[in-house]
Formats: sequence, structure tokens, C-alpha cells
Amino acid sequence: MLTRRKVMGSVALGAGALGLGIAPPRASADAGQLTFAGFGGTTQDAEKTAWADPFSAATGIQVIQDGPIDLGKIKAQVESGNVLWDVCDVQGPVAYLLARKGMLEPIDYSVVKREHLDPRFTFDYGVAAFGSSYVLGYNKDVIKDKEPHNWADLFDTRTFPGKRAVFKWMSGAPFEIALMADGVPADKLYPYDVERALAKWATIKKDIVWWSTGAQSQQLLASGETPIGMLWNGRIYALIQGGANVGLSWEQSTPGSDIMIVPKGSKHKAEAMKFLAVATSPKPQADFANATAFVPLNSESVPLLDKKLMPYMPFGKNTAAFPIDFQYLADNWESLAKRWYAWQTTA
Amino acid sequence: MPNLLPPQALWLNRGILGGFGLLLPGLIFLGIFLVVPLSVLFLRSVTDPIVGLENYIALLGDSSYARVLSNTFTVAALVTAISLVIGFPVAWLLAILPSRQARWLFAVILLSMWTNLLARTYGWMVLLQNTGVINRTLMGLGLVDAPLHLINNLTGVTIGMTYIMLPFVILPLYATISAIDPLIMQAAAICGAPPASVFGRVLLPLAWRGIGSASLMVFAMALGYFITPALLGGSANMMVAEMIAEYVQTLLQWGLGSAAAFILLAVTLGLYALYFRVFGLTQRI
Repeated sequence: MLTRRKVMGSVALGAGALGLGIAPPRASADAGQLTFAGFGGTTQDAEKTAWADPFSAATGIQVIQDGPIDLGKIKAQVESGNVLWDVCDVQGPVAYLLARKGMLEPIDYSVVKREHLDPRFTFDYGVAAFGSSYVLGYNKDVIKDKEPHNWADLFDTRTFPGKRAVFKWMSGAPFEIALMADGVPADKLYPYDVERALAKWATIKKDIVWWSTGAQSQQLLASGETPIGMLWNGRIYALIQGGANVGLSWEQSTPGSDIMIVPKGSKHKAEAMKFLAVATSPKPQADFANATAFVPLNSESVPLLDKKLMPYMPFGKNTAAFPIDFQYLADNWESLAKRWYAWQTTA
Repeated sequence: MPNLLPPQALWLNRGILGGFGLLLPGLIFLGIFLVVPLSVLFLRSVTDPIVGLENYIALLGDSSYARVLSNTFTVAALVTAISLVIGFPVAWLLAILPSRQARWLFAVILLSMWTNLLARTYGWMVLLQNTGVINRTLMGLGLVDAPLHLINNLTGVTIGMTYIMLPFVILPLYATISAIDPLIMQAAAICGAPPASVFGRVLLPLAWRGIGSASLMVFAMALGYFITPALLGGSANMMVAEMIAEYVQTLLQWGLGSAAAFILLAVTLGLYALYFRVFGLTQRI
């Protein structure tokens, strides 16, 4: 006969069994693997094919892909001591920010060879992943007659009407773009004339559509929702490869990079350093660049690049980039970022 | 109440536990998973980066936070009002329709509520964009020359959030209205009241408590909404949840983020106090 006591007993037994069954895996069980976190989409697919797969084939260490990158998560992992992401691909300025906050492991340069790596993006706590530039992208189906060339065209709503796709976060060099569009010469950008830059942005404020992920920017440009905007060069290349009718201009492009970091307290530090050594060596860097049109930061990779990609890469006639003052940015990052985000909330 | 407990369990409602013994499991659950995390959060807001009320002072003096906070309450109030205006007739219809037809209407409402929030929000993006369905139709029919700005502004946020909140207004109101005896309204009509009076002086007062609780629920939910305002709104009408996300995920200033959350909580509790003053805590009917 089914009494209440019997039912309660069996429920308790079942719950106990369930509890035992879903106990978290012991750390020792997953030695010989590491977790790589990136931004997802076409870029992370290329990171997997160019870096993770050769690494796993060579060392037998399994690489688990995860993401998307969330700084809050990284901070929570480091603070709680339960670090799940062993290698993270973060934006350049963010790596410096995390290092300042003491959240990163120092890179073991006895394992990772740094001689040929771009010194601008390689430092004690992070190693260069790939170079990416913010370029002017436009939808050729919507903008048919004239071709936009530089940032001044981004602010010219009379010649090029429509909404503009603008990167929301501070790492998009918003002040440089606005100041250059307003006519400030490249060598006089620093220190920023913040008011002048914000005033320039205010002229197109109501036409701005903010994007925060690469996929979002691709969607906005390809659909024609924002016929013109600032995007990562590699994402525009992916669109063109996919058949979208979009174009880009390299004039005044802002050079940036992604940097790979290892959060403090990672449980697979040794494996992570080996991975970084592989990811920054010439052929994997070149393979990634050939797949995405992002720039390899190992100078020995350049001869290995596919010649067909040259129009989509910042080489040759495409180096109209300007020198960014990384020290100024590192020193003033937080106050500038707050100012930029506060301005975004104004009407 | 104690009459319904089996003899072995009567101790739950006696002695120091008073009448709250049966509440214990719920209280313990809330205590561990609500009170403790909130206290930790509050501690962080007064200790990160330095001990003191720095974060609160910084936020209360920050004009952009004030703007975001007022945006949040404006949007929440707007969404609540519009949801009530649209939802009340639907709930009323549900209550008086014969059960066969009422079931179909129910199915439509419930299906929309059960559809994934993100899918619904993206659906609205596809509809409202400049290159979206609505604008293309209007321009194709020649009714407008330039696309209407229906997204990345207050309009988009209001439309999206109202759509999502509607089931939460309709269902409680349906419960309230269906509990009202239709003979009362018949009696009012027999006594000579015109339809407008029957509605305004009989139905509305009887449904008042339902309206109050539905609007309270929707308002509180709307205050904390993140995804829909982030996707359908613009930065100019940012809501608090998005700003807190910025503090937590981008600026990594968790003390400020916690303080921002607590200021929102304090203002909301203040509004609750006001609500209880107006609508009363105890049963009147």
C-alpha cells in the first residue's frame, strides 16, 4: 500500500542519488585540457582551426572553446579562485586594464617566443593575438553613387544619408575618429580635446546605432540598416566572402589588436603557455590571417600571407593608419571611458 | 488551519514558531538565496573600492545616472499604463466569452508568453527596423516617403516591452473579472445606470484590486528589464539594468554597480509603500 512515508522515503532516496550523480568533476580528472574563450562567430571559428586544432594535434591537449568574453565573468572567476577560462582573447586595452587590476598571470616567455612579436601589443601579462583595425565600412547596395573614404564621411549625413553603426565601447577609439573627422592632424590627437570630439559626435547622435558584438555589426551593415559605419576589418572581409555587397576604406583606420591573456589562478597554466607559444608562431598566425584578413602580429608570418588578401589588410597603400599613444590611453582609460559612456546616455 | 495538519505535524504551528511553522521552508529558501546574496551585494557597495558611502554619493551626484533612473521609471510607468489599457478589455473579453472561444484566445496569449523572450525581441527588431517589415510595407504602399524611426528609441522599447508584459496583465485581470458576479452589473443596469456608469462605477471599482496588483507586478518587472531595452532602445534611453551591466561587465567597478542596484531597490520599495497606502494591505471586499 502506498503510504505517505513510503513516497517520502523514495523521493529522498532519489534526490540523494541525483545529488551524487551530478557532483562536479574533480580537477584532476581534466588535466591535459584547457579552455579557450573568445568572442565567438567567424573569428573564433578561425582561432579554433588555425590555433587550437594544430595545438591539439601536436600536444594531445584538448582545447575547449567557450565564450563570449565577459569581463565580469573573468573578474568573478579570478576573485572566487575558480578560474574556468585558461586563455582569453580580449581587446588590447582591456588586457592592460585587467593587468592593472592584478587579475592576470605573467606570460612565461621562456615557453612563448617573443622576438618577432609586435612589441606594441606584447607585454608582461599578455601576448599579441592578432591585429584588427576599425575601418570605414559601407553597404554598396545603398550607397551607390559616391564612395566614402575617411571618417569625415562618417559624419557627413548629407552626402551619405542613413544611420551609422558605431562601436559602443571605449576600445573603439571614438575620440581619435571624431577628432580626425573634425580636421585635427594625426600628430596632434593627444592629449584629447574631449569636448571637441563629443561635440563632433553630437552632430550625428540621432543617427547612431550602437553595436557591441562583431556579428551585430555585420548584420547591421549587410542588411543596410546602417549603410555606413565603423567595423573591424576582418568582419567586413567575412561579409564580402559571404557574398554581401559591402566595401571598406582604410584611410585613417585605427590600429588595434586583440591580446591573449591567462587569468590569475588558471588551473592549466603550463598548458596555456604552450598554447600561446603555438598560437603566436609564424604558421598558425598566418593561417588565422588568411582565414580572417586580420593582421598577424608575428613579423615572420607576413611572407606566408595569401596575396589575394592584400586589399583587405593594412599593408602597402592601406597603411594610412596613425600612431596611437597607448601610454596616454592606459593612464586615462577609466576617466575617458566613463565620460564616453555617460555621453551616450544623453539625448 | 491547524485542523488540516496531521497530528504528527501540529508542533509546526505551536510554541515559538507561532503560526509560521509552515512558512519555514519558504523562509529558509528565501533567506539563503535572496537575503544572503543581497547582503553580500550591499556590503560590496559600501566597501569596494574603499569603505564608506563613496559609491552612493558618486551616483547620486552623477547626472547621467539620474537621467538613466528617470528613464527607467518613465518607461516602466508608460509600459504599465499602456499594458493596462490594452490588457483590460482583453481580460474582460476572456471572462465573458463562451468557453470554446475563450480557450482559443487563451492559447494565443499563453503561446506568446511561452515563446522565448529573446526570440520575441529579435522578432520585433525584424519588424521595426528601417529595413524591416513594417517600414518596407508602408514605403511599398506609398504611405510614407522615408522609413519611420520605430527602433532604437522610446517607441521601440515601449512597443517591445508592452508586448511582453501583456500576458502578465491579462491573466491576473481575467482572474479578478471572472470572480465578479455578472448579476451585479445586471442589477445596476436594471436600476437605470447607463453602460458608461456600469463600467465606471460598478465594474472598475470591483476590479480595482486586480488592476492594482497587475500594475504593481508589471511595473516592478519593467524596472529591472535588460534585454528588451538593450536591443530595441537607444543609448539615449538607457535603463538602469543596462547601466549596471556596464559597471559590472565593462568598467569592472562592482561597488558602483551594487550601489546603483540598491538605489533602484530603495526607490522601488518607496513606491511600494506608496502603493500600499493607496490600495491598502488588507482585504476589503
